[in-house]
Amino acid sequence: MRSGPSTTAIRLTGINKTFDGIPVLRNVDCSIAPGSVHALLGGNGSGKSTLLKILAGVHPADQGGTITIYGRAYAAGSYGPAIARQSGLRFVHQDLGLVPDLTVSENFALESGYPRRAGMAISWRGLRRSTRQSLESAHVDVDPQTLVRDLRPSDRTLVAIARALRDSDEGSHVTLVLDEPTASLPQHEAGVLLEAIRRCQSRGQTIVYVSHRLSEVLEIADRISVLRDGVLVAERSTAGLDEAQIVALMTGQEAREPLARGMPEADARPVLTVSGLVAGPLRGVDLTVRRHEIVGVAGLLGSGRSTLLRTLFGNARMERGGLEVDGAPARLRSPRDAIRRGIALVPEDRGKDAAFADLPLWENVSATAIRSYWSGWRMARATERRDATRLIRTFGIRTATPNAPFTHLSGGNQQKAVLARWLRLDPRLLLLDEPTQGVDAMARADIHELIREHVARGNAALVVSSDFEELESLCHRVIVLRGGSRVAELTGPRLTEAAIAELTQITPKEPTHD
Amino acid sequence: MTDVSPDSAVLPDQAPAPRRTPVAVVGRDRSVAGVIERYGLLLLLVGMVVFFALLPSSGEAFRSAANINSVLASQAVGLTVALALLFPMAAGSFDFSVGAVTATSSVMAAAAVSHFGLPLFVAILLAVASGVVAGAVLGLLVARYGINPFIATLGMATLLGGAIFAYTNGLQISKDIPETLTDLGSLSVFGIPRIVLAAALIAVAVWFVMRHTPLGRHLFAVGSNASAAHLVGLNVTRIKFLSFALSGLVSGVAGVLLLARQGAATSDNGMNMLFPALTAVFLSTIVIEVGRPSVLGTVIGVLFVAVSVSGLTLVGAPSWVSQVFNGAALLIAVGLAGISRRGADPARL
Repeated sequence: MRSGPSTTAIRLTGINKTFDGIPVLRNVDCSIAPGSVHALLGGNGSGKSTLLKILAGVHPADQGGTITIYGRAYAAGSYGPAIARQSGLRFVHQDLGLVPDLTVSENFALESGYPRRAGMAISWRGLRRSTRQSLESAHVDVDPQTLVRDLRPSDRTLVAIARALRDSDEGSHVTLVLDEPTASLPQHEAGVLLEAIRRCQSRGQTIVYVSHRLSEVLEIADRISVLRDGVLVAERSTAGLDEAQIVALMTGQEAREPLARGMPEADARPVLTVSGLVAGPLRGVDLTVRRHEIVGVAGLLGSGRSTLLRTLFGNARMERGGLEVDGAPARLRSPRDAIRRGIALVPEDRGKDAAFADLPLWENVSATAIRSYWSGWRMARATERRDATRLIRTFGIRTATPNAPFTHLSGGNQQKAVLARWLRLDPRLLLLDEPTQGVDAMARADIHELIREHVARGNAALVVSSDFEELESLCHRVIVLRGGSRVAELTGPRLTEAAIAELTQITPKEPTHD
Repeated sequence: MTDVSPDSAVLPDQAPAPRRTPVAVVGRDRSVAGVIERYGLLLLLVGMVVFFALLPSSGEAFRSAANINSVLASQAVGLTVALALLFPMAAGSFDFSVGAVTATSSVMAAAAVSHFGLPLFVAILLAVASGVVAGAVLGLLVARYGINPFIATLGMATLLGGAIFAYTNGLQISKDIPETLTDLGSLSVFGIPRIVLAAALIAVAVWFVMRHTPLGRHLFAVGSNASAAHLVGLNVTRIKFLSFALSGLVSGVAGVLLLARQGAATSDNGMNMLFPALTAVFLSTIVIEVGRPSVLGTVIGVLFVAVSVSGLTLVGAPSWVSQVFNGAALLIAVGLAGISRRGADPARL
């Protein structure tokens, strides 16, 4: 039912949403032009996720709002997932919804159902054929028989998109909604995805794009809508915008001037000295980190970057090599040993290695300090809670209550809580593995500031990141690992995003592709 | 400052200055839904008590001191077994051996006095020690050697059940059980059965360990995410081991109470004590501190089942009601726990 050429693909009018009496979205009006790439931006708690869920029909908006898709208006109460789908909306969520242990075609069948032969047995050939067609029309060069787990991350994302678009004929009104599709991708793989988005656009499809990577947004989006505290504060073209302006729109403040990269004195005392470290993929790495210094570690997956941090935290075995912490030789056999020596680790996989998901926020913040509240015969619970609550406030962690389960927090707030847990111990050496992955721009700025402040107090930090822009802006010095060896060190004016990207990939190995 | 251990937390004086929007930090969820979620089971328990106390067909008998005492006394051992189960459950492991360990301990105590003529004091120590040993073995298997607790504890329960049968030959041991012990099971102090006081004492002790010692907090941390617990410096192996050892200890004590209550040790393998304990612990996760097992919740859970079964029996329900009610309560508790966990899905702000 095409009602003539529409000038808007999707129009939201007067969308409000309250959870438990707390307004999350306030009177949001937003319109998205057909065939455009429209980025939806906002920090943690801005209401961005909620708006997406309303668009998907998962959450109903409050009474009074209207959702209009290609000229057909739906009252907020009557809109649901089925209507969203009929109207051509296709969603790819951040976790992609693929089962790693099934093949690509089986993953397709999870959504489309298995084609049957004579109404009985599954027609595997038919499934492979239809999957191959969908993949081809989306220009995804992947064999339908491959296990999803064997695909590289960017291909997984492409497969998820191809699956979402599988039954969208040419010419029908399709809107593809991508929720942080590049959040889990290394920077150099994100390009493949942006290309795919441009292809969709060239076929006349509309793309709603949510991402924390502002450089990407500027590269690909035609227009942006910015949410702040549940209010749509800006909707404009990306022409003439730069990242600082977007951050200012999101935060409502002028962008912070990037800190001048002052070098710590060369003769500052070393906090950490590593010599000839052999562990896992690492083959004899030397490294010194001094007081007041933030040292970055760049490298591709498998370069040994995470093993380096895990070894320094006593969580991976050191086969050979010497380790000195504050000038004294150290043997770290467990994280506990490392913590005693003043080392802290913010791990890469927050959900798996840092979150006590079902425990309250305050207990998560307290996790490193439980024993210090043992008064000899009982826990000083009141003091413990009060301290945790104060940390929640000083670290700017947004929550309704310190009792909120950790999972209820957004990614950025969770990461701040993990940082708070460690910084309260005032560690000499802070190890950070992908500290701002899946974190919005504002929380990212906050986290960087917290790291800088901590180091300014005479401590040191070692940061592993696949976001080279982050390494450039945060670190005094970056070492580059390749194949388990240290191949370069960048300082001063040579320390640029481009230089890091180049050095990590001088001999690019094609990821295995079977 | 070269040595920063997790035991010497440095607090906010050097933490960063306040930033950005002040955060509204309010207390617990006081909304109606929140209160019902947290106190629903307690309200239901009170409702059950009032209902059966007022119901003409059961009221008089239900309200009698004799019935109240009998309900409480009959649950003392069950509560203790459930308390034993709390430790491994808090640390994230199932323990299907608590019933069997309790039964073993009771046979141990009875055999020590009856067959070997040992003094009661020594018999009790041996019985409790048997529980600790069983728990420690499980702790080693699970914590040190990484065996699935489900399998390990089920295996231990089966093994102990067989050992009990082999030793008792299917007969009960009732000769020469000292009166000092059976008095604990049958007499009252100030109108309250002694065994209820004993169970209450154990409950308070377990509550204290769970809530007011670092170990209690460590148990919940390991139960929530063992990998994260390891990475904040906790000794996960030790904590899991302790959870089973403590479970064995409390089960051992439960065995002594069981002997005191029954006046004899039977050849029963104790599995029938396991499911009410599981029910109570699961019920505890849907009350007060929703989502995690607790001592108070377990007490409420045990009482809820006991009161309901007693009331139903008094109104003339047949004897299979108890089993059906236990099974249904277990399923409902597990279901509700699942739903509340899913309901906790971020309505993200």
